[in-house]
Order: sequence, then C-alpha cells, then structure tokens
Amino acid sequence: MTVAASTPMLRRHALAATALRDRILSGGVPWTLVIFLLMATVPWLGSRYDTFLASQITIDALFAVSLNLLLGTTGLVSFGHVAYFGVGAYVCGILMKTYGVPFSLAFPASGLGAALFALVSGYFCVRLIKLYFAMLTLAFSQIIWAIAYKWNAVTGGDQGLPEIPYPHLDWMSSIPGCADLSIGARFYLLTLVLVAVSLAIVHHIIRSPFGRVLTTIRDNPERAAFLGINVRLYQLASFVIAGGFAGLAGALYGIFSRGVFADYVFWSKSAEILIMTILGGAGYFWGPPVGAAALVWLNQVITDYTQYWSFVLGAILLVLLFGFPGGIVGGLDMLWQRLKRLRNA
Amino acid sequence: MNCRFGLALASLLLSSWPLAANAADTIKIGFPIPLSGPVAVYGQPVLKGAQLAVSQINANGGVLGRKLELLVRDSKANADEAVRVSRELIIKDGVDFLVGTVTSAEAPAVSTVAKENKIVFLAPVAESTILTDPQHIHPYIFRTNSNTDVEGLASATEIARWKDVKTVATIGPDYAYGRDLIAAVVANLKKLRPDIQIVDQQWPKLGEPDFTSFITAQMSKKPDAVECAVFAGDFITFAKEAAPLGYFKMIDNRMVDSGGVGTIEEVKALGNDYPYGIVANTEDPVIWTSGNEPPEHAKYIAALRQFTHEQYPPSWAVQGYLTVSALADGIRKAGSTNSDAVSKALIGMTFDTPIGKRTFNVKFHETFQPEFYGTMVKEAAYPFAVMKDPELLPQSYTPTN
Repeated sequence: MTVAASTPMLRRHALAATALRDRILSGGVPWTLVIFLLMATVPWLGSRYDTFLASQITIDALFAVSLNLLLGTTGLVSFGHVAYFGVGAYVCGILMKTYGVPFSLAFPASGLGAALFALVSGYFCVRLIKLYFAMLTLAFSQIIWAIAYKWNAVTGGDQGLPEIPYPHLDWMSSIPGCADLSIGARFYLLTLVLVAVSLAIVHHIIRSPFGRVLTTIRDNPERAAFLGINVRLYQLASFVIAGGFAGLAGALYGIFSRGVFADYVFWSKSAEILIMTILGGAGYFWGPPVGAAALVWLNQVITDYTQYWSFVLGAILLVLLFGFPGGIVGGLDMLWQRLKRLRNA
Repeated sequence: MNCRFGLALASLLLSSWPLAANAADTIKIGFPIPLSGPVAVYGQPVLKGAQLAVSQINANGGVLGRKLELLVRDSKANADEAVRVSRELIIKDGVDFLVGTVTSAEAPAVSTVAKENKIVFLAPVAESTILTDPQHIHPYIFRTNSNTDVEGLASATEIARWKDVKTVATIGPDYAYGRDLIAAVVANLKKLRPDIQIVDQQWPKLGEPDFTSFITAQMSKKPDAVECAVFAGDFITFAKEAAPLGYFKMIDNRMVDSGGVGTIEEVKALGNDYPYGIVANTEDPVIWTSGNEPPEHAKYIAALRQFTHEQYPPSWAVQGYLTVSALADGIRKAGSTNSDAVSKALIGMTFDTPIGKRTFNVKFHETFQPEFYGTMVKEAAYPFAVMKDPELLPQSYTPTN
C-alpha cells in the first residue's frame, strides 16, 4: 500500500471513528477501565503463560497506540517509530542495570529521553511530507540502530544488555491477594496500570482541542494552514508525544524481555508495529491494541506448529488486510452497523 | 459496541489456553534455534545433529528409562524472539532443559531466562566470552563450543609457525565476535612472537556487500601474513573479490581464517573459488584425508550420513550432537531431571564426543573446546577444498582471570 493511497482510507475511517467516539461518550462507559479490569484478572484466572502473553500484548498495545497517534490521528506515516521505543528501552536498561537507578526514576526518564530524541529528529522530519517524511523517519531509526549496534561500551553492541533487573515489587505483598504472585505476574500488573494510565492520557489528548487540530491537519493540511494553524509545530508536538509514549513502551519491554538488544531498533520492528496498527484498524483508538493482540497471538501459535511461520503468517495477514480494509475493528464495526440496520428495517 | 473488542481480546486469550497437560513421561528439551534468515545455515545443521543424538539415545532405551523429546522453535536469530520462545517452552510446554541459540546476542539473553527459571541451558554454538565470564556465570549455563579466547590462542599458534613472517595484517567483521577474536589473536601473537608487527587492521561490517576497498587498503601495507575473521556468506564475497586482485598471491596464501571456513558448508558453497592453501578451522572437518580418523568419528559420520541423506554431511551438526549427548550424560549422572542436580552433575563432568573427550571447567562451565585447523587443499577425490591433516588446536588452554 502506498502512502498516498492510504490517506482517503484513513479519512473514511476517521469519520467512522468520530461517530464511534460519540457513541461511547453518550454511553458514558469508561472502556479503558473495563478492559483494564478484565485484563487484570489474568494472573489469577490464567496460567503463567497467559500472564506472559498478556504482558507482551499490553506493552505492544501501548507501542501501537503511540504509533497510531501519528498514523491515524495526525496522518503521518512513520517507518522509524521503533527508534523511540529503542531509545526508551536503552535509557531504562542502562539506568537500571549499569547505574542501579530505581525504576520509578528510570521509567519517566526513558519517556523523556525518547521524547527528546523525537524532538530532535522530528524537527527535521516534519519539514518533509508523505514518502519523504517516512524515509527520513526510517533514516533516523537506522542511525539509532547503528549506535546501538556499534557502541559496545554503553549499549553492549550486538550482544545487547542482558539481565535488566526487575523493579522492586516487594511492596505488592501487602496488597490482599497479591502475596503469592510471582515477580513476572507482579510486573505484569505494574505494566498494566502504567499502560492503562498512558492509554487514558493518549485518549484524552486525541479528544482534546489539540487532538482535533491534529485530525484537521490529517484531513487537509493546506486548509489547516490557511486557518492559521502552525501545521509543522502541531505535527512536531504529535511526533514528540508519540515518541515519548513509544519510549515508555520500550522501557517496559526491556524489563519484560529481561534484556535490551540491538534487534529492538532494527527497521523490521517498525514494520511489525505498523502491521499491528493497520491490522487492528488505524481509524480506531482500540484498533492498534486489537491488532497487537492478534499479531502476538498469531505469531505465537504459528511458530509453535511450523518453521515456515513467515509463509503462513504472511498468507493470513494478506487475507485479513484484503477482507477487512479497515482492520479487524473496522470489520467488526461494519458488521455491527449492518446488523443494526437489519434490526431497524 | 466496544465490549466486542474486550470480548475479542478475551477470546484471543482464552484460545491460547494451554491444551490439557501432556502426561507422557518424556524428558523434554526445549530447542530454540535460528531456522530462518541468514543464520539458519548454522541453525539447521545443529538441529540435525541434535535430532540424530536424540534418535540414537532413544533407540538405546532413552535416559533413566525415559525417552528424550526435542521441542524445536525458530528463534529467528533475534534475541527477544529467542527469549520469547524460551520462556514459552518453559512455562507452557514445561521443558526440563534448554539447548540451543546461535548468535552472541541470543545466548546471553536466553541464559538470563535459564537463570531466572532455574533450568539448565547448554549453548552449542555461541562463542562470546561474556556468556560465562565471572560477571554472568550462574549454575544453569553451560557452553560446549569454543570461545573467542581459545580460538585466538589457536590462530596465533598457527601464525607463529611461519618463522619468516614479520608483519601481519588483520581483517574481521566489525561487531563483538570479530573484535573479540582479533583482539585475542593479536594478544596471543604478541606473547608467542614478539618480533611480529601488526601493520594493518580492517573492519568491514557484517554482511558487507563489497570488500574491494578493504582488500586494496590492506594490500598497500604489504603484510607477510593475514589473520582473518570473516566467515560464512561474507567470506564467499571476500574470497571471490580478493583472488582476482592478487591478494592471496601477495601473501603467498599465508592466511589463517578463524571464522570456521573449513566447514563442509563453506567449502561446498565456494566450490573451486576456494582460496586453496589458506589455513582454516572447523569444529568438525567431516572428511579425513590422512587416514588417522578417530573410529568414533567415522561411526558418527556414517550415522549422520544416513540421517541427513547427504554424502558429505554438515560440519556444524557435531555441536548439536555432542551437546545433547553431554546433557544426557549429565542427567544419567544426576539420576534425575532436576536442573539443580543436573547442573551439579555437569560441573567438572567429562564426556565422550565423536572428536575426543571434553570436560566442563568447574569455574567457567565450558569445555574450552579446541577446533581442527589445517591447510585447505584441492584433492582429486573431492569436488571442493578439504582440510589436510586436521590438527586440534590449541593443545592446551588455561583460562585467565
């Protein structure tokens, strides 16, 4: 799919998304909270393996939502979003492993570090449009990869930084029901809380007047500029926010994966997260998390049964993307609309 | 409306619920190994060797009366994927042990998982010293391959034998393995032959598509001999570009390559483009031209030939084979599949391999495995280069620190 072709599609989904948002608002149900509560039961109701999968889905969901702030909300296609994820992972990993900084400081620092790098790279990127923008984001992410791969003394080079310590979570023992949980399950609960808060903030940003301006820029940047909006500044702000949240996701992922490696910042990971976002539905707030869940689950199931996983996964993605051009959530939404029309008729 | 997404999430989670626990009493060995991408050329043969060992052990009644079972997963040569599949193997499939990984990023990453889950993990290929150095060692990590310090000593020994060589140049891939290996060769060479000068060092990147500028730059320094750490696909590109430039002629073929280009895999891939006359190394030369082949090796190759249906089976298979054999010996010695007991049994244990006896060092949990070195020559009986008089080097190795 070319960048140019995706814009009207995004626009169409954006309209649907606005309608959806209004429905939710009128219903007044805090979906982030509901899904959060459902997911929080996993360590008790599921196995250790379910907790493990749920952790990965939760972290990828935040990463994909941060990308969608650019893709779905601002209309910027980034091929290098993994750079900010990687910066966050390395900042948190280096602080915690090399310098023994507590997680409560390293976690916000990783978001800030990623946002700062997004500010520097974004300053140049937003000066370009469409494919040129995408290529420059890719270039910046490859610079980060090269640094991660080569700077042995700090990043561990291609061997990475294994054994990132878990944060101190002994205090959770005092919470009723949490005393028996393993460190992995405790970290999952912490991740879930942090991701839920982050998602609520991103959701709030999208609904704010600031978010509406971003949507306007996505739909018609010339017209937005004509209205007196500083398009580049808004795009840069969106870029920095998206980078910061990607950094937070990276910090969590480094601890979850028990190490930070140069693979995290390789461009193929950017493609993976782009697929998650589009697979779930870039026009919907909950599209990327659903895409993350679907891709993590598919990858897990397929690699278990065949070493030709890439062929099977590719075929499934092809069918899904052709069958549901609006992503999984878009497809479900369409189905729901049709059912409603049938009922009303 | 939105509850559908919640339901979708929930159903995804539900469908991943583990199927009824498998009660079959096999001893499960998780095997995360790269089976796709460029590193699969190492992963595939290592897996073959491991499968051969498992089938032989099972045919002889298994271990402690139980059969061995390999649970193979593609680690994609990617550290976080290797971690993911390893944790999945432990917590979902309930494997008793882990064997596998190839790259120097994968192995330490999986080592962390092994340590946290208290599962014995044997690395058959990775050579990075950080895997078992004092900072990273733990009771559950073991390595059966050589490491870069051991290879450094062996390669320096080979270079030091060229008495008239006064100047040496080096060329190695610019990443941890290449840098560590070249550093170890240079350090050992300084001790063995203080009269030798290092006149040039080239660092092409891993996967370099064009070595011409590195080759010509090195030739301008006119070294007497070259230490090379370029390997696999990169060595094919390198050798094909260096020959027409007169590189090998200039150094009179006095090159030691420590990157394992003496493997059957490499000589098959290069065919008649192989720079005959260089000294190369391999874990297993497969073909013995001199007739002093150890009988246990001949037996192993015959079985491997039958198993892979290849006339000249891959060299790397031996690492999968001897690693699984070592684990089986450890389980037998421990009398249990408990990882703490098996770890105790493996430490200091001596085991048989097709290429001689090996012992896990008590402090470093590795065997400091020597490798076969020899001049690569053309022989009429084979369609590719073969190693002349393979010799195990270094003859002895004492770990520092």
